[in-house]
Amino acid sequence: MVLVLALGDLHIPHRAADLPAKFKSMLVPGKIQHVICTGNLCIKEVHDYLKTLCPDLHITRGEYDEETRYPETKTLTIGQFKLGLCHGHQVIPWGDLDSLAMLQRQLDVDILVTGHTHQFTAYKHEAGVVINPGSATGAYSSITYDVNPSFVLMDIDALRVVVYVYELIDGEVKVDKIDFKKTTTQNAN
Amino acid sequence: MVNKRVPDWLNSSLWSSPGPQPSVQSPSPTPATLNDDDDATNRSTRSATKSSTATVNSVKAGGSASGGEFPVERTGPMPSAPAVIRAENRHVPTRAKAETRDPLSSSSNYHSDEENGSSAGSTTSASAAAAISSAEDISRQAQLCQELSRKIINMGEVRRLASQGIPDGAGIRATVWKLLLGYLPTEKALWPTELAKKRSQYKHFKEELLMNPSEITRKLEKSVILDDEGTVIADKGELPRSEITQGEHPLSLGKNSIWNQFFQDTEIIEQIDRDVKRTHPDLHFFSGDTPFAKSNQDSLRNILIVFAKLNPGIRYVQGMNEILAPLFYVFRNDPNEENAASAEADTFFCFVELLSGFRDHFCQQLDNSVVGIRSTITKLSQFLKEHDEELWRHLEMTTKVNPQFYAFRWITLLLTQEFNFPDSLLIWDTLLSDPEGPLETLLRVCCAMLIIVRRRLLAGDFTSNLKLLQNYPSTNISHLLYVANKLRAKLG
Repeated sequence: MVLVLALGDLHIPHRAADLPAKFKSMLVPGKIQHVICTGNLCIKEVHDYLKTLCPDLHITRGEYDEETRYPETKTLTIGQFKLGLCHGHQVIPWGDLDSLAMLQRQLDVDILVTGHTHQFTAYKHEAGVVINPGSATGAYSSITYDVNPSFVLMDIDALRVVVYVYELIDGEVKVDKIDFKKTTTQNAN
Repeated sequence: MVNKRVPDWLNSSLWSSPGPQPSVQSPSPTPATLNDDDDATNRSTRSATKSSTATVNSVKAGGSASGGEFPVERTGPMPSAPAVIRAENRHVPTRAKAETRDPLSSSSNYHSDEENGSSAGSTTSASAAAAISSAEDISRQAQLCQELSRKIINMGEVRRLASQGIPDGAGIRATVWKLLLGYLPTEKALWPTELAKKRSQYKHFKEELLMNPSEITRKLEKSVILDDEGTVIADKGELPRSEITQGEHPLSLGKNSIWNQFFQDTEIIEQIDRDVKRTHPDLHFFSGDTPFAKSNQDSLRNILIVFAKLNPGIRYVQGMNEILAPLFYVFRNDPNEENAASAEADTFFCFVELLSGFRDHFCQQLDNSVVGIRSTITKLSQFLKEHDEELWRHLEMTTKVNPQFYAFRWITLLLTQEFNFPDSLLIWDTLLSDPEGPLETLLRVCCAMLIIVRRRLLAGDFTSNLKLLQNYPSTNISHLLYVANKLRAKLG
């Protein structure tokens, strides 16, 4: 039972001041085993804050990040799942499923987490899943101002992933979940 | 008020050199081995002189107490209060007997653990010294076996025999302890059904309480989720979002959320984990990297976690692992394969039973109440005052050694930390065989511990007395239990 927090596109301090208070009160240290961040934090203080949540932190570089040494893409294995991480501004058209699927095949991962669009989406593509956790602060994106703060918590348990989607809609935290089972026969295309 | 002198029986030379010279009558029911009433007497007198010097060495060597000699002196046919003299004999001249092959093989259980452990230099003396039992030991073993083979077990008889020590020979300690703790009913025919019932009950507890929240949520929604998602959803496209039940998500801060409770329990589980890893680091049974040790540690963990979850009032307190360890050790080393495999379940229930008398010692709020640890320590103090006022006065008034400094650990941990492992098993034989519960016997044994070192205590000041009592010196266990028993007889 591994808890993985996926978030990104905070744009602190340029576009947002901080995470919403209701999110912050839920994110306490000690519960989460891994944190993956799609990028665009943008400053070191946010990095330090995420580090306090969990020492195992993975970040990829977004176009506004002030830390230049984050990688463009990252892959990690948690339990039986391979996760891939990328900010997403490199993949055009932004947010397009087929292009992201290409990236997924390239990285050879089961779950690809990207951001940049500031909209939560979760797509299934062939044997894998593409998740966009949205913007955790609700910062405006290159495309739209209408952004709800959201992030994703994945509960990885053997061959099953339960994805909990936390969204702040009208000041209330709404939680949904998505179930995904990895089929045991995984043939790379 | 008369100033009570030290009673004469206490002042006799008996106490300076352990190992009295009894006149032995062995009432053994096994005539085959016993052409040696005289031999037993001779042996014991020989051993008495030897043992005074030998005891210290051999005790330090960690030899098992169980295989020693127990010449018995019966002063009367009272089954309830036998006066026993046990001279622990470690350097017995080698008298190979037919029956000793059993003690040798089963006490080798102890020895392999102890020898592999960190107690250095124990190998030669332990193997030479401990494996030979006397006529009385064998007779008691035979009597116990006989009792256990009856259809309806006479608990009084079993208690009486057990209070003198359970020999290792027939591997019966596990069964006797289970009987003494009330886990097994006295009617032997009921044993299989009782055991099966309790074991399955424990299995249910484990399944319920040791599940993590992911599994719980999965179980709750088994009916809702379509199992074969692959075929229902198209290969490509949006994943369906489903609602969560009752706000149950991992970051939930609600009091009733299973996730929240899980994370709160994590603290206790971490504490239990730490203590389990530190239990008896010198015994290979409990510590080390072998899969056996790991599985034993896991069993201890599970038992303590289940106990903590089932008893939210007391949860887990440091020290419970020490009380659990001997129980689990004995049950796991049961020669009966089936029993050894289900040791975890049996230990759990016996642990609950054993702890039921002592729970209040672990509850901090009850510390100052009538049932708490302070009042028990006061009882001990009173006890000492009644039996040996001079020592009591010296300890409490003159040197101001507050009994809490030493007796706390003695009482809460049932003396497991004061003696080496096999000795504490012997002490537990006597403790558990008390029909009114172990507490009275425990207090008597503690009092005996004080009385035995009275010379050193009377001569010492605060620092030296405290040091002595907090690192209680190795001593002849049978002697200790004899004194404890005498204390009972004194007050009637």
